Amino acid sequence: MSLDISFIGILIGSIMASSVPLILAASGELITERSGVLNLGVEGMMIIGAISGFALMVITDNLFIAIVGSMLSGVIISLIFGFLTQSLLTNHVATGLALTIFGIGLSAMLGKNFVGIPGKEFPILFSSLKESIPFFGPILFGHSIVLYFAFALPFLTNYFLKKTKLGLIVRAVGDSPVSASNQGINVILVRYCCILYGGAMCGLAGAYLSLIYTPQWIENMTAGRGWIALALVVFATWSPIKVLIGALIFGGITILQLHMQAIGFRIPVQFLSALPYLMTIIVLVVISRDSRKIKLNTPTSLGRIFYKEK
Amino acid sequence: MATDLRISNISKIYPGCIANDNVSLQFKSGKIYALLGENGAGKSTLVKILSGVVSPDNGEVFLNEKNLKLSSPLDAKKNKIGMVFQHFNLFETLSVFENLSIDATEDNESLRVRVNEILKKYNFSIDLDVPVLNLSAGQKQKVEIIRCLLRSPKVLIMDEPTSVLTEQETEELFISLKKFCDEGILIIYITHKLKEVLSLCDEVAVMRKGKVVSVSQTQNERVETLANKMVGQKLAKIKKKINISKNKDEIFKVKHLNFYSDDPFETNLVNLNFSVKKGECLGIAGISGNGQNELFQILSGEIITPDTSIIFRNKEIAKLNPKQRREYLMAFSPEDRISQAAVPELKIYENVALNNFKSSNFFEKGLVNEKKIKEHSKKILSDFSVNTDNVELKSQFLSGGNLQKLILGRELITAPELLICYNPTWGLDVGAINYIHETLIKINDQEKSTILISTDTEELLKLSDRIAVIYKGKLSKIMPSEEVTPEKLGVLMGGGSID
Repeated sequence: MSLDISFIGILIGSIMASSVPLILAASGELITERSGVLNLGVEGMMIIGAISGFALMVITDNLFIAIVGSMLSGVIISLIFGFLTQSLLTNHVATGLALTIFGIGLSAMLGKNFVGIPGKEFPILFSSLKESIPFFGPILFGHSIVLYFAFALPFLTNYFLKKTKLGLIVRAVGDSPVSASNQGINVILVRYCCILYGGAMCGLAGAYLSLIYTPQWIENMTAGRGWIALALVVFATWSPIKVLIGALIFGGITILQLHMQAIGFRIPVQFLSALPYLMTIIVLVVISRDSRKIKLNTPTSLGRIFYKEK
Repeated sequence: MATDLRISNISKIYPGCIANDNVSLQFKSGKIYALLGENGAGKSTLVKILSGVVSPDNGEVFLNEKNLKLSSPLDAKKNKIGMVFQHFNLFETLSVFENLSIDATEDNESLRVRVNEILKKYNFSIDLDVPVLNLSAGQKQKVEIIRCLLRSPKVLIMDEPTSVLTEQETEELFISLKKFCDEGILIIYITHKLKEVLSLCDEVAVMRKGKVVSVSQTQNERVETLANKMVGQKLAKIKKKINISKNKDEIFKVKHLNFYSDDPFETNLVNLNFSVKKGECLGIAGISGNGQNELFQILSGEIITPDTSIIFRNKEIAKLNPKQRREYLMAFSPEDRISQAAVPELKIYENVALNNFKSSNFFEKGLVNEKKIKEHSKKILSDFSVNTDNVELKSQFLSGGNLQKLILGRELITAPELLICYNPTWGLDVGAINYIHETLIKINDQEKSTILISTDTEELLKLSDRIAVIYKGKLSKIMPSEEVTPEKLGVLMGGGSID
């Protein structure tokens, strides 16, 4: 193995690819949480997205339908969560956990007949540029459209939250649903929208895994990425840009430690495997220590049930 | 154009309580109306109905003879009814401007122009781009008022607006309200503070147990007549007590109390020295935010400061934590009843158990002796005339006055030698205030001492034997209360000197 410059470029490209599902799921969950809803069902929504995307691809042979379908399935399953927590006022934590368990079980059942079917190649953009430019080629080019979308998403999310009226309303609802309601904002509707958006992004994140990253269906293929995405949102103190940084660090160290294991560093494998989790937490804690900023970004009403006085 | 607001036969029944019982009232612009009543009299329900937050079971609201359908806050806004709630409806983490822009229909530039016009016109100084959580209570209230003014309201309802304000902020508020009134805005002022009614309002409606019991011109009323209407019975006048502590021993002595904090929201304390005699009440006056919080926390042991000496009953206790200090027979009643003194989600008896560690045998071998705690709690409830005998009730359902009685009862039942309380009657109605004051006087009569940190000068003058003023973390000379007048206190509280 040589550490030449083009290898590093390829390495960075693969790190970026591995962090896409985290960025998508975490960005979606971030909006949900910013509206004050704590949805622990990220893992469940991702895996449902993964199987429905893959199944639709096999059935329709159309990748576009597969991608859109995976997002819709994320919306549908998050609608269950939304109905339970917003309309029936169930506890967010318990409902979210149930959603994850439900999603994993349902996906395994639906996916029974799709195990072992080979995936379809997903079109990549600018593949000629990837080869022709050393170092920057594999970093900037030759990725799927979903990756470009994922990397734009944190910036779009940031813009949405900070600069748009709707973003302001989402933050307001997350800060104080009672005040928002007294201001005439339909809190339940805003929260429903945020939950469904989060569901769509988690669905897309799942589809990225089963259609693009490792194009096949394997039971439980999200392998805890939903939980990492959830943790990223918290450790990034609800800042979209920090979510991106955290996802890249996590993806980066995951891949680097695999290489280190392969090379045979004299470090216990268990430690190397734990490294991504450890480093992500450390870095995010260090970059998020301004307690004043944390206070401003944290949705005050997170996880609390809101009901309207009658 | 003149505004005429009429409420006709409004009723609202909650499970177990009639909040509004056939309430009819009429208001006309050009006057400031007071809606007076004790906590739980139904004032808040009525204004919630007027602002569309709650819909009435019965009855109608007419604005200029037009029947209003108020089924959501939006309806109230559309009909130009503005409302400033007691608990602010602001988004703490958003900036002032974001808070204002959230329900604005215009673009940000023209909104900013209009907001700045309002700031200038009413002489408000607020930075529009800081997060609301950095503002003082008075500034937050101004933001709420600006939010209402932006919609050029016909009616402005203020729900207990001064409960969180300093005296100076209260004065400023009254000036603004009078201006609004002159501009033709109909103002409805909800309060349980009698003096405010007399100094600010033109007409007063008194509510008791959900009913309007009287409507009158304030010029025909006095504090006593209003108090009697509000409480529904004659209030006993509290005797100014006789100072018996002049030549007693010092029971509590603080030397070289210094406190330095990096937090810009905390006040540094500079070399505080004072002592309390047996059976004496030492009053500490001051406008809130001049170091009272920090002082209370240091005296209670929540903050331990180095190099401070606190002698209590001849023992050095400066390094002890609150629990240990309680065991030496100190007791504390913090300002914030809900978050510091009691846990609102816990039941009454559980709250009672919270700070009785050693002296009582509430806990045996790590287990809770529920029976004993409940008996003990029942005794507190009846001894301190708390408005319930159900010890299973969650504390959050107690009104402020009853919760304060419970807290004092909990603290006093261990017969402490020194009680330190901070704004014990904050936000309470006359009846409850009277009761708390009587209790505090009784403590002194029993030769026990109190330190009363309060922002209420009247209370201090009534209860203290000696008074000092805290200003920007420094303590004034300690004066015998007979030499102190409200004017003197006012000067010292504002940072002046009287020599």
